[in-house]
Amino acid sequence: MPKRNDLEHKALSHIANTGGDGILQSDLWRQLGASSREGSRVALKLENKGLIRREKELCEGRWTYRLYPKRKPASINSIADCPCLTCAENLRCGSWGATSPNDCEKLTEWILQQSGIVGMSPQGDS
Amino acid sequence: MLTFVDEETLRKVAEVVGSEDAIKVIEILKDSNEITDDEIANKTEIRLNTVRKILYKLYDHSLVSLRRSRDENTGWFIFHWKLQPDQLEGFILNQKRRVLEKLQTRLNYEKSHDFYYCHTPGCKRVPFEEAMELVFRCPTCTKPLMHFDNSKIIEILNKKVEQLRKELGE
Repeated sequence: MPKRNDLEHKALSHIANTGGDGILQSDLWRQLGASSREGSRVALKLENKGLIRREKELCEGRWTYRLYPKRKPASINSIADCPCLTCAENLRCGSWGATSPNDCEKLTEWILQQSGIVGMSPQGDS
Repeated sequence: MLTFVDEETLRKVAEVVGSEDAIKVIEILKDSNEITDDEIANKTEIRLNTVRKILYKLYDHSLVSLRRSRDENTGWFIFHWKLQPDQLEGFILNQKRRVLEKLQTRLNYEKSHDFYYCHTPGCKRVPFEEAMELVFRCPTCTKPLMHFDNSKIIEILNKKVEQLRKELGE
Protein backbone atom coordinates (compact mmCIF):
# COMPACT_ATOMS: atom_id res chain seq x y z
CA MET A 1 0.00 0.00 0.00
CA PRO A 2 1.47 3.40 -0.92
CA LYS A 3 2.19 5.80 1.93
CA ARG A 4 -0.65 8.26 2.52
CA ASN A 5 1.55 11.33 2.05
CA ASP A 6 2.96 9.99 -1.24
CA LEU A 7 -0.55 9.31 -2.40
CA GLU A 8 -1.62 12.83 -1.44
CA HIS A 9 1.28 14.27 -3.44
CA LYS A 10 0.51 12.13 -6.47
CA ALA A 11 -3.21 12.81 -6.29
CA LEU A 12 -2.64 16.54 -5.95
CA SER A 13 -0.26 16.64 -8.88
CA HIS A 14 -2.77 14.66 -11.01
CA ILE A 15 -5.59 17.01 -10.08
CA ALA A 16 -3.40 20.07 -10.71
CA ASN A 17 -2.61 18.79 -14.20
CA THR A 18 -6.29 18.50 -15.14
CA GLY A 19 -6.55 22.29 -15.17
CA GLY A 20 -10.13 23.56 -15.13
CA ASP A 21 -11.71 20.25 -16.27
CA GLY A 22 -11.19 18.41 -13.01
CA ILE A 23 -11.07 14.64 -12.72
CA LEU A 24 -13.54 12.03 -11.52
CA GLN A 25 -12.53 10.64 -8.13
CA SER A 26 -13.11 7.09 -9.37
CA ASP A 27 -10.83 7.65 -12.43
CA LEU A 28 -8.11 9.16 -10.31
CA TRP A 29 -7.81 6.15 -7.97
CA ARG A 30 -7.72 3.79 -10.89
CA GLN A 31 -4.85 5.79 -12.40
CA LEU A 32 -2.98 5.88 -9.10
CA GLY A 33 -3.55 2.21 -8.33
CA ALA A 34 -5.20 2.94 -5.01
CA SER A 35 -8.44 1.57 -3.55
CA SER A 36 -11.58 3.70 -3.47
CA ARG A 37 -11.47 3.64 0.31
CA GLU A 38 -7.94 5.12 0.38
CA GLY A 39 -8.94 7.43 -2.43
CA SER A 40 -11.94 9.04 -0.84
CA ARG A 41 -10.01 9.52 2.40
CA VAL A 42 -7.17 11.30 0.62
CA ALA A 43 -9.64 13.44 -1.37
CA LEU A 44 -11.34 14.46 1.85
CA LYS A 45 -8.01 15.29 3.40
CA LEU A 46 -6.97 17.43 0.42
CA GLU A 47 -10.33 19.21 0.55
CA ASN A 48 -9.93 19.90 4.26
CA LYS A 49 -6.49 21.35 3.59
CA GLY A 50 -8.13 23.73 1.13
CA LEU A 51 -6.14 22.39 -1.82
CA ILE A 52 -8.99 20.93 -3.89
CA ARG A 53 -12.72 21.36 -4.42
CA ARG A 54 -15.10 18.35 -4.70
CA GLU A 55 -18.33 18.45 -6.67
CA LYS A 56 -20.89 15.62 -6.63
CA GLU A 57 -21.49 14.09 -10.06
CA LEU A 58 -23.59 11.19 -11.36
CA CYS A 59 -21.48 8.88 -13.49
CA GLU A 60 -22.85 5.65 -15.01
CA GLY A 61 -25.68 5.60 -12.49
CA ARG A 62 -23.40 6.01 -9.48
CA TRP A 63 -22.62 9.08 -7.47
CA THR A 64 -19.01 10.10 -7.39
CA TYR A 65 -17.09 13.33 -7.04
CA ARG A 66 -15.26 15.45 -9.56
CA LEU A 67 -12.10 16.95 -8.10
CA TYR A 68 -10.85 20.39 -9.10
CA PRO A 69 -7.64 22.17 -8.05
CA LYS A 70 -8.44 25.12 -5.80
CA ARG A 71 -5.19 27.02 -6.05
CA LYS A 72 -3.68 28.00 -9.34
CA PRO A 73 -0.43 26.14 -9.98
CA ALA A 74 2.73 28.22 -9.71
CA SER A 75 3.37 29.49 -13.19
CA ILE A 76 6.51 30.80 -14.82
CA ASN A 77 4.66 31.92 -17.97
CA SER A 78 4.94 35.66 -17.34
CA ILE A 79 8.75 35.52 -17.41
CA ALA A 80 9.47 32.23 -19.21
CA ASP A 81 11.03 33.88 -22.27
CA CYS A 82 12.73 36.75 -20.42
CA PRO A 83 16.41 36.81 -21.44
CA CYS A 84 17.49 37.63 -17.85
CA LEU A 85 16.62 34.09 -16.74
CA THR A 86 19.35 32.48 -18.78
CA CYS A 87 21.74 35.42 -19.09
CA ALA A 88 25.36 34.56 -18.37
CA GLU A 89 25.97 38.18 -17.28
CA ASN A 90 23.39 37.98 -14.52
CA LEU A 91 25.80 38.34 -11.60
CA ARG A 92 27.48 41.35 -13.21
CA CYS A 93 24.22 42.97 -14.28
CA GLY A 94 22.92 46.05 -12.51
CA SER A 95 22.64 49.79 -12.97
CA TRP A 96 26.15 50.08 -11.43
CA GLY A 97 27.84 47.52 -13.68
CA ALA A 98 29.24 47.23 -17.17
CA THR A 99 26.18 45.16 -18.09
CA SER A 100 23.02 46.94 -17.15
CA PRO A 101 19.28 46.40 -17.68
CA ASN A 102 19.21 50.07 -18.74
CA ASP A 103 20.81 49.50 -22.12
CA CYS A 104 20.52 45.73 -22.60
CA GLU A 105 19.32 45.17 -26.14
CA LYS A 106 18.00 41.66 -25.46
CA LEU A 107 15.89 43.03 -22.63
CA THR A 108 14.60 45.89 -24.83
CA GLU A 109 13.59 43.40 -27.47
CA TRP A 110 11.74 41.31 -24.89
CA ILE A 111 9.98 44.37 -23.46
CA LEU A 112 8.74 45.32 -26.93
CA GLN A 113 7.58 41.75 -27.59
CA GLN A 114 5.39 41.97 -24.50
CA SER A 115 3.07 44.39 -26.23
CA GLY A 116 2.97 42.23 -29.33
CA ILE A 117 5.13 44.67 -31.25
CA VAL A 118 7.42 42.32 -33.09
CA GLY A 119 9.75 43.48 -35.84
CA MET A 120 10.30 46.93 -34.38
CA SER A 121 13.85 48.10 -34.03
CA PRO A 122 15.16 47.49 -30.49
CA GLN A 123 15.01 51.21 -29.93
CA GLY A 124 11.30 51.31 -30.55
CA ASP A 125 11.47 52.87 -33.98
CA SER A 126 8.82 51.40 -36.24
CA MET B 1 4.00 21.25 2.32
CA LEU B 2 1.94 20.15 -0.66
CA THR B 3 2.34 22.45 -3.63
CA PHE B 4 0.87 22.68 -7.08
CA VAL B 5 3.17 22.65 -10.05
CA ASP B 6 1.91 21.33 -13.33
CA GLU B 7 4.01 19.41 -15.82
CA GLU B 8 4.19 22.24 -18.31
CA THR B 9 5.67 24.52 -15.66
CA LEU B 10 8.13 21.82 -14.70
CA ARG B 11 9.26 21.60 -18.33
CA LYS B 12 9.62 25.38 -18.61
CA VAL B 13 11.67 25.51 -15.42
CA ALA B 14 13.93 22.80 -16.83
CA GLU B 15 14.33 24.92 -19.96
CA VAL B 16 15.31 27.91 -17.86
CA VAL B 17 17.81 25.97 -15.78
CA GLY B 18 19.36 24.06 -18.62
CA SER B 19 18.72 22.98 -22.13
CA GLU B 20 16.81 20.25 -23.97
CA ASP B 21 18.88 17.78 -21.97
CA ALA B 22 17.69 19.25 -18.68
CA ILE B 23 14.09 18.58 -19.75
CA LYS B 24 14.93 14.91 -20.34
CA VAL B 25 16.69 14.67 -16.97
CA ILE B 26 13.72 16.25 -15.16
CA GLU B 27 11.31 13.89 -16.94
CA ILE B 28 13.27 10.90 -15.60
CA LEU B 29 13.59 12.39 -12.11
CA LYS B 30 9.87 13.10 -12.02
CA ASP B 31 8.99 9.47 -12.64
CA SER B 32 11.41 7.97 -10.15
CA ASN B 33 11.65 8.23 -6.44
CA GLU B 34 15.45 8.20 -6.22
CA ILE B 35 17.86 7.63 -9.05
CA THR B 36 21.63 7.70 -9.64
CA ASP B 37 23.34 9.88 -12.27
CA ASP B 38 24.50 6.71 -14.01
CA GLU B 39 20.95 5.43 -14.39
CA ILE B 40 19.80 8.80 -15.73
CA ALA B 41 22.61 8.80 -18.30
CA ASN B 42 21.62 5.29 -19.42
CA LYS B 43 17.94 6.11 -19.70
CA THR B 44 18.35 9.42 -21.51
CA GLU B 45 21.48 8.54 -23.51
CA ILE B 46 22.98 11.86 -22.46
CA ARG B 47 26.69 11.85 -21.58
CA LEU B 48 27.32 11.22 -17.90
CA ASN B 49 29.26 14.45 -17.35
CA THR B 50 26.45 16.47 -18.96
CA VAL B 51 23.91 14.74 -16.71
CA ARG B 52 26.05 15.60 -13.68
CA LYS B 53 26.38 19.23 -14.77
CA ILE B 54 22.59 19.52 -15.09
CA LEU B 55 22.04 17.81 -11.73
CA TYR B 56 24.47 20.17 -9.98
CA LYS B 57 22.73 23.15 -11.58
CA LEU B 58 19.37 21.87 -10.37
CA TYR B 59 20.94 21.24 -6.96
CA ASP B 60 22.17 24.87 -6.84
CA HIS B 61 18.56 25.95 -7.10
CA SER B 62 17.47 23.27 -4.54
CA LEU B 63 15.26 21.67 -7.17
CA VAL B 64 16.81 18.27 -6.46
CA SER B 65 18.19 16.71 -3.30
CA LEU B 66 20.97 14.14 -3.07
CA ARG B 67 21.93 11.25 -0.83
CA ARG B 68 25.40 9.76 -0.84
CA SER B 69 26.25 6.12 -0.33
CA ARG B 70 29.46 4.13 -0.75
CA ASP B 71 29.88 1.35 -3.27
CA GLU B 72 30.92 -1.72 -1.26
CA ASN B 73 33.13 -3.10 -4.02
CA THR B 74 34.93 -0.01 -5.31
CA GLY B 75 34.64 2.23 -2.26
CA TRP B 76 33.44 5.07 -4.52
CA PHE B 77 30.59 7.34 -3.63
CA ILE B 78 27.25 6.84 -5.36
CA PHE B 79 24.95 9.85 -5.58
CA HIS B 80 21.20 9.27 -5.42
CA TRP B 81 19.14 12.16 -6.77
CA LYS B 82 15.55 13.07 -6.04
CA LEU B 83 13.33 15.81 -7.46
CA GLN B 84 12.00 18.29 -4.91
CA PRO B 85 8.80 19.56 -6.50
CA ASP B 86 7.91 21.53 -3.38
CA GLN B 87 10.92 23.80 -4.04
CA LEU B 88 9.71 24.72 -7.52
CA GLU B 89 7.29 27.35 -6.34
CA GLY B 90 10.08 29.07 -4.38
CA PHE B 91 12.37 28.91 -7.40
CA ILE B 92 9.73 30.51 -9.64
CA LEU B 93 9.06 33.25 -7.09
CA ASN B 94 12.79 33.99 -6.79
CA GLN B 95 13.15 34.27 -10.56
CA LYS B 96 10.14 36.59 -10.73
CA ARG B 97 11.64 38.79 -8.00
CA ARG B 98 14.92 38.93 -9.93
CA VAL B 99 13.21 39.94 -13.19
CA LEU B 100 11.03 42.45 -11.35
CA GLU B 101 14.12 44.10 -9.87
CA LYS B 102 15.67 44.48 -13.33
CA LEU B 103 12.48 45.81 -14.89
CA GLN B 104 12.09 48.29 -12.04
CA THR B 105 15.68 49.50 -12.57
CA ARG B 106 14.98 49.89 -16.28
CA LEU B 107 11.69 51.69 -15.67
CA ASN B 108 13.35 54.22 -13.35
CA TYR B 109 16.05 54.80 -15.97
CA GLU B 110 13.51 55.30 -18.77
CA LYS B 111 11.47 57.70 -16.63
CA SER B 112 14.42 59.80 -15.56
CA HIS B 113 16.10 60.23 -18.96
CA ASP B 114 15.42 61.90 -22.26
CA PHE B 115 16.69 59.94 -25.23
CA TYR B 116 18.07 60.88 -28.61
CA TYR B 117 18.27 58.54 -31.58
CA CYS B 118 19.33 58.67 -35.22
CA HIS B 119 16.58 56.21 -36.27
CA THR B 120 19.13 53.97 -38.02
CA PRO B 121 18.57 50.27 -37.32
CA GLY B 122 21.53 48.87 -35.39
CA CYS B 123 22.48 52.21 -33.80
CA LYS B 124 21.94 52.89 -30.10
CA ARG B 125 19.87 55.66 -28.62
CA VAL B 126 21.74 57.92 -26.21
CA PRO B 127 20.57 59.90 -23.18
CA PHE B 128 20.41 63.70 -23.42
CA GLU B 129 23.67 64.30 -21.47
CA GLU B 130 25.62 62.06 -23.82
CA ALA B 131 23.89 63.51 -26.90
CA MET B 132 25.06 66.98 -25.77
CA GLU B 133 28.66 65.80 -25.60
CA LEU B 134 28.30 64.24 -29.05
CA VAL B 135 26.88 67.54 -30.42
CA PHE B 136 23.77 65.56 -31.39
CA ARG B 137 25.56 63.38 -33.94
CA CYS B 138 25.29 59.59 -33.80
CA PRO B 139 28.70 58.17 -32.79
CA THR B 140 28.13 55.18 -35.09
CA CYS B 141 26.64 56.58 -38.31
CA THR B 142 27.18 60.35 -37.72
CA LYS B 143 23.56 61.11 -38.67
CA PRO B 144 21.87 63.84 -36.57
CA LEU B 145 20.29 62.65 -33.31
CA MET B 146 16.58 63.39 -32.90
CA HIS B 147 14.48 63.28 -29.76
CA PHE B 148 13.15 59.75 -29.10
CA ASP B 149 9.76 59.16 -27.50
CA ASN B 150 10.09 56.30 -25.00
CA SER B 151 6.52 56.52 -23.66
CA LYS B 152 5.64 53.15 -25.24
CA ILE B 153 8.53 51.42 -23.45
CA ILE B 154 7.51 53.08 -20.16
CA GLU B 155 3.90 51.97 -20.67
CA ILE B 156 4.88 48.34 -21.32
CA LEU B 157 7.31 48.33 -18.39
CA ASN B 158 4.68 49.75 -16.05
CA LYS B 159 2.25 47.01 -17.06
CA LYS B 160 4.80 44.23 -16.67
CA VAL B 161 6.04 45.50 -13.30
CA GLU B 162 2.45 45.72 -12.10
CA GLN B 163 1.71 42.17 -13.34
CA LEU B 164 4.76 40.71 -11.61
CA ARG B 165 3.99 42.58 -8.38
CA LYS B 166 0.48 41.15 -8.44
CA GLU B 167 1.78 37.63 -9.04
CA LEU B 168 4.24 38.04 -6.18
CA GLY B 169 1.50 39.44 -3.94
CA GLU B 170 3.40 42.68 -3.29
